Amino acid sequence: MPDPKLYLLAMAASAIASLLFVLAATAVVRPTSTTRRNVASILGIGLGLAVGYNVLALRLAWPPVKGLDRLLLIIVPATIGIELIAGFPCIPRSVAWLMRTCLAVAAPRILLRGSVYLSSPGSDRDLWLSGAELVLWSSLLIGTWRLLTLLSARSPGISIPMALAMTTQSAGLTIMMAGYIKGGAATIPLAAALVGTTVATYLMRNRISLSGAIGIGVVGLFGILFIGRFFGRLSTACALTLLLAPLLLWVSEMPFLKHRKPWLVGSIKVLLVAIPLMVVVTLAKQAFDREMAPLLSIIYDVLEVGS
Amino acid sequence: MRMRNCFFGLVRAFIIGAAVWTAGQSGFAADEYAYDLVHSSVTFKARHLDISWIHGRFNDVDGKFSIDRENPSKSTFHLVIKTDSVDTANKARDEHLRQPDYFDTKQFPTIEFKSTSTKPVEGGYEVTGDFTMHGTTKKITFVLKGGKEHQFKDIKRVAFSTELTLKRSDFGFDKNAIGPIGDEAIILIDCEGMRK
Repeated sequence: MPDPKLYLLAMAASAIASLLFVLAATAVVRPTSTTRRNVASILGIGLGLAVGYNVLALRLAWPPVKGLDRLLLIIVPATIGIELIAGFPCIPRSVAWLMRTCLAVAAPRILLRGSVYLSSPGSDRDLWLSGAELVLWSSLLIGTWRLLTLLSARSPGISIPMALAMTTQSAGLTIMMAGYIKGGAATIPLAAALVGTTVATYLMRNRISLSGAIGIGVVGLFGILFIGRFFGRLSTACALTLLLAPLLLWVSEMPFLKHRKPWLVGSIKVLLVAIPLMVVVTLAKQAFDREMAPLLSIIYDVLEVGS
Repeated sequence: MRMRNCFFGLVRAFIIGAAVWTAGQSGFAADEYAYDLVHSSVTFKARHLDISWIHGRFNDVDGKFSIDRENPSKSTFHLVIKTDSVDTANKARDEHLRQPDYFDTKQFPTIEFKSTSTKPVEGGYEVTGDFTMHGTTKKITFVLKGGKEHQFKDIKRVAFSTELTLKRSDFGFDKNAIGPIGDEAIILIDCEGMRK
């Protein structure tokens, strides 16, 4: 059953661990280069995730047997590894994007491994369709990743990781209200670690590109939405809306906004991303009230009679 | 010389063929039955808030069993339950049970039992086998009661029933998701097999 107190504790622990790690790492190693800050932010997110999942007491199986196990034990660590390597200046951009593309291609297959989608596709047509669907999802992942990294390079700042954290948390709420509690809870440490790292970067008053943090955020968001869509009851429309919502940040590159005051541009960006998120969460809440709440109200009635 | 080799080759092939045929014949001593979905049921119940029971059933079950009356230890039982067919008479709850927090039906579409040894006991068979649920396989032993045969319109039928108590946490179900529903689940199997 959902435990809001535990979720808040995990959120706080994850954010604080990430924040303190990034601040400490950049304070100890001086002078801090962009590469070092990027490495610190990636490791900070990794630490925040570990702390958050430990507080949540999320049971993961090794070897992984479920989609969530594979996301948290294979895909996310692989992303951390790729972003650590890609962050070094000696690594050509083409190599970095080749590694990211390989991960994006492999991720849907890894997440669906052993499931009905890959083990019993039925006819040749079904096989072709499921293959095409996987290619589409991989393209969406790499497309979103590329566009947000590009935006981060053009206008560095905290808005992208913050928008990713906001979207990840909304995805968690939506998945949880659709009935997959553990999947929804798994987003809490990710969103909190992104916030912790971003706040630490903000406190350092340095506008650096958080490409590593963005990569982990995008892959984490994609993974949880993909699991929610294929293993839970998240609709394709909701999953796509949530995945693509952070791309609305590109509005800041429009000529009529580009040279406005930063606070105005920032507010418009946050508002634009928040609108689709609010719509999705509201629809999920309505569906929850319609379908799941009657079950819970029966439980509450019994509890009240019992007390 | 070539003729002689050819002759011995034919003799060898005959002996091997005869041996295979004989082995096959001894295997035919067991009667093969197909699971009769119409006259069988797999139901379960679990404690709710430790004060009452929630009942449910699986509507899509398949299986087969072979009964060897002469050598009962050679009897085998195989049952496959489609997890997607879970039915607790509440659509929302059924949908919830199909999700990864519970049966995770897209990842684990079946619950399966395959016997590994059988021994006759009074009133039925004691069956030991591999029970696979939620990606975890455990060896379990239970008593299958029944085994009486009945011939009706050219169809030979045999029936068994049993009751199993399993802990969901033993099969990889998340303890945090168990919540108000008890960890233990009682599974009741009443199955009828049929053969022409």
